[in-house]
Amino acid sequence: MSANNMSGPQRVNKIIRYKPPSTEANPTLEDPTPDYMNLLGMIFSMCGLMLKLKWCAWIAVYCSFISFANSRSSEDTKQMMSSFMLSISAVVMSYLQNPQPMSPPW
Amino acid sequence: MRSVYLLLPALLLLLALPVSRGRYNDDFDDGEDLADFADDNDFAEFEDVSEDTAAEPETAPPPRVAPPAQPAEDDEDEATVELEEDGQEDGFEDSDTQDQDMYSKYDPDEFDGMEKPSQSLKDPLIIHTVPAHLQNSWESYYMEILMVTGLLAYIMNYIIGKNKNSRLATAWFNSHRELLESNFALVGDDGTSKDAVSTGKLNQENEHIYNLWCSGRVCCEGMLIQLKFVKRQDLLNVLARMMRPVCDQVQIKVTLNDEDMDTFVFAVGTKKAMARMQKEMQDLSEFCSDKPKSGAKYGLPELLAILTEMGEVTDGVMDSKMVHYITNHADKIESIHFSDQFSGAKVVQEDGQPLKLPETKKTLLFTFNVPGMGNTSPKDMDTLLPLMNMVIYSIDKVKKLRLNREGKQKADKNRARVEENFLKQTHNQRQEAAQTRREEKKRAEKERIMSEEDPERQRRLEEAAQRRDQKKIEKKQMKMKQIKVKAM
Repeated sequence: MSANNMSGPQRVNKIIRYKPPSTEANPTLEDPTPDYMNLLGMIFSMCGLMLKLKWCAWIAVYCSFISFANSRSSEDTKQMMSSFMLSISAVVMSYLQNPQPMSPPW
Repeated sequence: MRSVYLLLPALLLLLALPVSRGRYNDDFDDGEDLADFADDNDFAEFEDVSEDTAAEPETAPPPRVAPPAQPAEDDEDEATVELEEDGQEDGFEDSDTQDQDMYSKYDPDEFDGMEKPSQSLKDPLIIHTVPAHLQNSWESYYMEILMVTGLLAYIMNYIIGKNKNSRLATAWFNSHRELLESNFALVGDDGTSKDAVSTGKLNQENEHIYNLWCSGRVCCEGMLIQLKFVKRQDLLNVLARMMRPVCDQVQIKVTLNDEDMDTFVFAVGTKKAMARMQKEMQDLSEFCSDKPKSGAKYGLPELLAILTEMGEVTDGVMDSKMVHYITNHADKIESIHFSDQFSGAKVVQEDGQPLKLPETKKTLLFTFNVPGMGNTSPKDMDTLLPLMNMVIYSIDKVKKLRLNREGKQKADKNRARVEENFLKQTHNQRQEAAQTRREEKKRAEKERIMSEEDPERQRRLEEAAQRRDQKKIEKKQMKMKQIKVKAM
């Protein structure tokens, strides 16, 4: 669909630079999954550590993985790594304190 | 890089398990010595009847105890056999023959008043099962193995999904690159580089969202294309999609300069999308208050509906070429929205906040569904090329479309009406806000006067405040008089 004239419809003088959409509108439009999962992961890992529940710690690991998979590229990797490490430390600590295998709930 | 971040924790996890188990294995090296605890045994007196294993109750041969080894905590009170698995066979062979000997040597009188030994055997034998973590088998850890397998499956799915999305995006860009480059001077910009040079590639916002900004064309300011794929990298999402299939979407937003578009609001799309947008979008809810009309009236397929400010707009937009485009690709069109009053979705305002009229921008919005309902292959991206042609055609068309005099008048009236309504709604709120501000000021003033220690200064400040109030009242009275005179 280019125009007939030689330069086509492009106009170099009309170039406008890309402005990422303002962050004001973003929080409502953006997917809240990674933030929720991050928070859940932290809560579960704290539960797992304090109450010595193995299944809490495992769910925390899963939550931090899910949060990582859904995260935006603009997000801090430090935050991701810290939630990973917290959940893995929760798992390791629960096993060190009580090496019995996890019993299924049924 | 991100895969490394994932693998690191998984590796750590796998290493942690054996470490935690290994600690307790040492205890069993002492197991062999358990057999020699003759010193602690109640029956130590009878040890001279040479048994090479730990003693057992005198009467019947002890039942063969199942657990292969027991921790030292098991106490001697119970009539259990403190034997190791390998020691057990030897013990039993000898004990059978020795039993008779032992028995014959005992003096029945010794046990007067005591319970018969055989009765002690009737006390239930409490056989402890060895705690699972002390058994030398991995099978007891099946839940953990399941968990780790699940994690590995998640990681595999992440890598596969990420790659698939990336391939789809590249395929889309490759098929559309030529068309875009022939229409726009700047194709691909992330906004960070100093010069306005085409990056020539997509901007990856996420593992499932890719952006492309094109600019430098007659009739428009710029075009933002968002490839919104489904979250193939998230296993939970993949499972959810098995229940409820979702499409990949391509969203195109063309922003126009003020002179590029006349004043009208128009939308066409699937019935569901139109119903939703009429509720959600600020401009559609204000300007297109009628229910969505069926597209059949204009030669469109039944499944499409139209929202418009006035009939003339529809006639103007739906020329034969547009109808042709839309009819041929109706399955891929989710919504098309042209508006000069576009301000996004309705913003939910908290109570008591003074509203400002939202900023509007002349915009054309297109949302297309990628065929395949989630199971897309890179080849399907080529089928979207005609739709991009339609977008370019629309940009040129909207520039040329001008309402006639009546239409323009109607449109202007509509906009004035909307603005008035808005001001009315906010009038009360603005008044309240002004009132509260005035009260706040007065209160602050009073507090200042009260907090003044010096009574002299206090009196002076009070007088000053009184004078100010008096002046204000006089001013108001003057105003009222003026209004009355004018009214007359």
